[in-house]
Amino acid sequence: MPQALVELRSIAKSFSEGDRERVVFRDASLKIEAGEWLFLLGRSGCGKSTLLNLISGIDLPDDGELLVGQRLLNRLSERERTLFRRREIGFVFQSFNLIPTLTVEENVLLPLELTGELTPALRGRARELLDRVGLSERAASFPDRLSGGEQQRVAVARALVHRPKLVLADEPTGNLDAQTGRQVLDLFRQLVRGTGATLVLVTHSDEVARLADRIVTIVDHRLVETPRPGSAR
Amino acid sequence: MMLGRAALRNVLRHPWLTALAVVGVALGVAVVSAVDLANAAATRAFLLAAETVAGRATHQVVGGPAGLPEELYRTIRIDRHFRACAPVVTGHLQLVAPSGSTTFQLIGVDPFAEPPVRSFSSQFRQQGVLTPLMTRPGAVLMLRQTAAGLKIRVGDRVAAEVAGRRRELSVAGFLEPPDEVAKVGLASLLVADVATAQELFGSPGRLSRIDLVLPEGSDGERQLAELRSALPPGVTVVPAGARAGALDRMTRSFRLNLTALSLLALVVGMFLIYNTMTFSVIRRRRLIGLLRAVGVTRREIFTQVMSEALLIGTAGTVIGLGCGILLGAELTRLVTRTINDLYFVMEVRNAPLLPAALAKGCLLGVLATLAAACPAALEATSAPPRAVLSRSLIEERRRRRVPLACLGGFLLMSLGAAFFSYPAGGIVGGFAGLFAVIIGYAATIPAVLLGASRLLRPAMRRLFGVIGGMSARGVAVSLSRTGVATAAMVVAVSAGIGVSIMVGGFRLTVQHWLENWLQADVYVRSADNGGGRYRPPLDPALVERLSRLPEAGGYTLSRRVRVEGEGGPMEVFSVSVPRESFLRYPFKAGSPAAAVDSFQRGDSVLISEPYAYRNHLRPGDRVTLPTDRGRRAFPVSGIIYDYGSDTGIVIMSRSCYLQNYRDRAVDGMSFYARPQVTPARLAAALRRRGGSAAISVILNAELKSATMTVFDRTFAITGVLRMLTTVVAFVGILSALMAMQVERARELAVLRAVGLTPGQLWGVVCGETALIGVVAGLLALPLGIVEALVLVYVINLRSFGWTMQFSVAPAYLLQAVLLSVVAALLAGVYPSIAMARTSPADALKEEE
Repeated sequence: MPQALVELRSIAKSFSEGDRERVVFRDASLKIEAGEWLFLLGRSGCGKSTLLNLISGIDLPDDGELLVGQRLLNRLSERERTLFRRREIGFVFQSFNLIPTLTVEENVLLPLELTGELTPALRGRARELLDRVGLSERAASFPDRLSGGEQQRVAVARALVHRPKLVLADEPTGNLDAQTGRQVLDLFRQLVRGTGATLVLVTHSDEVARLADRIVTIVDHRLVETPRPGSAR
Repeated sequence: MMLGRAALRNVLRHPWLTALAVVGVALGVAVVSAVDLANAAATRAFLLAAETVAGRATHQVVGGPAGLPEELYRTIRIDRHFRACAPVVTGHLQLVAPSGSTTFQLIGVDPFAEPPVRSFSSQFRQQGVLTPLMTRPGAVLMLRQTAAGLKIRVGDRVAAEVAGRRRELSVAGFLEPPDEVAKVGLASLLVADVATAQELFGSPGRLSRIDLVLPEGSDGERQLAELRSALPPGVTVVPAGARAGALDRMTRSFRLNLTALSLLALVVGMFLIYNTMTFSVIRRRRLIGLLRAVGVTRREIFTQVMSEALLIGTAGTVIGLGCGILLGAELTRLVTRTINDLYFVMEVRNAPLLPAALAKGCLLGVLATLAAACPAALEATSAPPRAVLSRSLIEERRRRRVPLACLGGFLLMSLGAAFFSYPAGGIVGGFAGLFAVIIGYAATIPAVLLGASRLLRPAMRRLFGVIGGMSARGVAVSLSRTGVATAAMVVAVSAGIGVSIMVGGFRLTVQHWLENWLQADVYVRSADNGGGRYRPPLDPALVERLSRLPEAGGYTLSRRVRVEGEGGPMEVFSVSVPRESFLRYPFKAGSPAAAVDSFQRGDSVLISEPYAYRNHLRPGDRVTLPTDRGRRAFPVSGIIYDYGSDTGIVIMSRSCYLQNYRDRAVDGMSFYARPQVTPARLAAALRRRGGSAAISVILNAELKSATMTVFDRTFAITGVLRMLTTVVAFVGILSALMAMQVERARELAVLRAVGLTPGQLWGVVCGETALIGVVAGLLALPLGIVEALVLVYVINLRSFGWTMQFSVAPAYLLQAVLLSVVAALLAGVYPSIAMARTSPADALKEEE
């Protein structure tokens, strides 16, 4: 049986909103295998982004266990979780979230800078990635001079530059038109599949969901596997 | 309407940033209005007292230091038929209460002669106080409110220190001021009968002056001419307002300097407002872009930003005025104390709320806020809708403007330098130049910041790794924020450096001067200091006794008096000084060796540096003094350094003084110990021989230290203003850097999401603020030194005519850089903590 890269065991998570408690997960469990493409579907506000935050260690479950790569995230300190995230995870956000004061190239180099591994070879990799996302010409531009699609391509390059084991993408095509969205998904296919990294992607789109190995939806605060609309693999 | 609501909501949505901006305006307004209130309170109290005491008198007959003989009054009134005249004996004393001593001016009058001259003293008979006033020993009248404040009732006996002696006064009744203005003028006044005053001040048969009411026009001119012809030599008639005006002019430079220092706080406050409003616009660039895109006009955007500024300005001004009133009371005390130490005795009982000072504070606060917000408002309106959305465009535009700003800065600094080289500009020109230099220098700071960031980045990277590199870069890429914050900080810190160096240099100068000036081993003077700079005379018998002390190898006799001239009062210091001591006098121009003989003979005088500066005199020129033998011109044989009086003094030998003034009194003696006699032994012998006389016997070192205490006290108010400016600066730094970091919350959250630990986040934020702190501290050094140079060589010279040593103590510079770094680090603490505590998930969720 393949090794699970991510395992959620009876996770519970809720948020307080004023004096009310909003439950997001209750007794939710899930296993994600290494190299698997798992897509999360569900209506807005059901907790998809929260799940990504939990898997990345940005947020912690109230109850249950969360293992990523054999590490129990609940037991890690804030600093340890951050270091884990820095090395093991690549993040792509719906609203791109590039650092506005860094150029395109600097944004891509940022994860390497943080790990302190900015060798000439890795610089070369960053440039190669920029080339592959078609933005090597814009390396010196600042993010807000780029179109949405271009920004998201930079975000994809930033998420992959340090070769993470796990890529988390929160509606990466949500802010893009259909054609640009397809271009970004193509990039995912070329770049993520090639490295064998695991991808957890949040989407509303059935078209996007066709790319998944497996689809999970959130029903009654639990994670439920759903049949795939079709595979483009 | 809706835009106005949006503006209000924007202010309320960022309470901390808004609060800091309001605090900045409030502090600036508070400092300016407090100084204004204090200055105005002191001037008003002094002028009202002078006017009330002068009453309807148009002229005053004045004499030399010993005053006028009583017979002269009889001559004028009876022989010359000037009925509208009244004799006055005046001096200062201290009422001794358990809570402490309070200085009063005592004026001795002839109640029967008063009605044509003064209204408050002409109703004594009707009030039923005439008999006790004239018959009871030590009887005085005072204002009911003042008495109530000191818990004194009619009939009470009150202890008083008069000319070093403890006397007993009896409160015979209350003064009845005819109006509210007179009430203010009478607050620090005691009224007695002429004879009582003469007895108290030890001047039987002598008057301080004679007040006259002369008619206007040719009749008055004729009477004046007639009177002048009848006066003996050494007695003159001066217009009644001349003296008050001259005393007011004396303190003008001092007050102007305070006002300028307070304006410095406002300039720093303005930087702060500019900074806040710029942030406010930058933060909302997306919103402004959207509004512009949906059809909001440029004018409406401008109005919205300016309305916000008006809101902040009004709130800050209201709070600032409140604080200014409280602070004003304390500053009034400091201003009054300095005026007492340096100029003349006066007492301000309270700091009234003067509408003019408050209105000025209001106007300054609101106008300064609007002026400071204007560039930001223009920036918000000047770009097309899409461009407003682009942050990088703003930064790019800023960077493009850097060379232009730099050039403008250099031009402004050159303009400032031109002001300095134009002496006719006076103090106002000096300060205008100083402000031009400060603002010009501030305009060049973004350029330096860019350069510093580029230069320091490799070093920061090597020292602090990736985080250091990011911090260094953050400073440059956010120039729209960091440039203004750094400039505000540089202006504030440099003000501290400038004033510290100036005061430090002045202190050092005074210390060196004292070394040369105070050469004797022991000094003796009257214990009374109620008269400020002027001490009451020592008992002649005591002088005689002390001068025969066997332990003393030599002694000097001195007398410091104020001589009333037509141009106002002037200070004459006479001294019998041994030749060898004279040769060590600190001469600025002329030489002691060349001057000593003519000085000792009484053929020439010395003048102090401020006196020479004010009157444009050089050695060889003549100085004209009113003497008891009439006006006499004395050749000036030298100009000496003197830091005791900024209005200047004339120094003459005692023999010269005795030749020209009918005053044999001595108010100071200094003694040189014989070989083998220690100064302490000499002092002990003097105290023994002094017996029960109220004298103070002070060793040389003690006198130097006491003088330095007065010096430090004089600069206490400068210290307070410097501290307040630093507080304004600190709030400015805090506000600027906090706004910068709070605005970056989302950016920092992304950094956290991609793997920045809370510690590293702290490092990035504090590294950036610390770098700004270090750069600002270092940039403040040259500006601070330039400010000190201007204060010493332009402002002080034009205000007081003093030469000062210029010495830059490394401690001041280090202190300034440390202040800058600590303030910057502290400013980074809150955003770091806030961001480290906030879940990146939450920050990422927030709207951009």
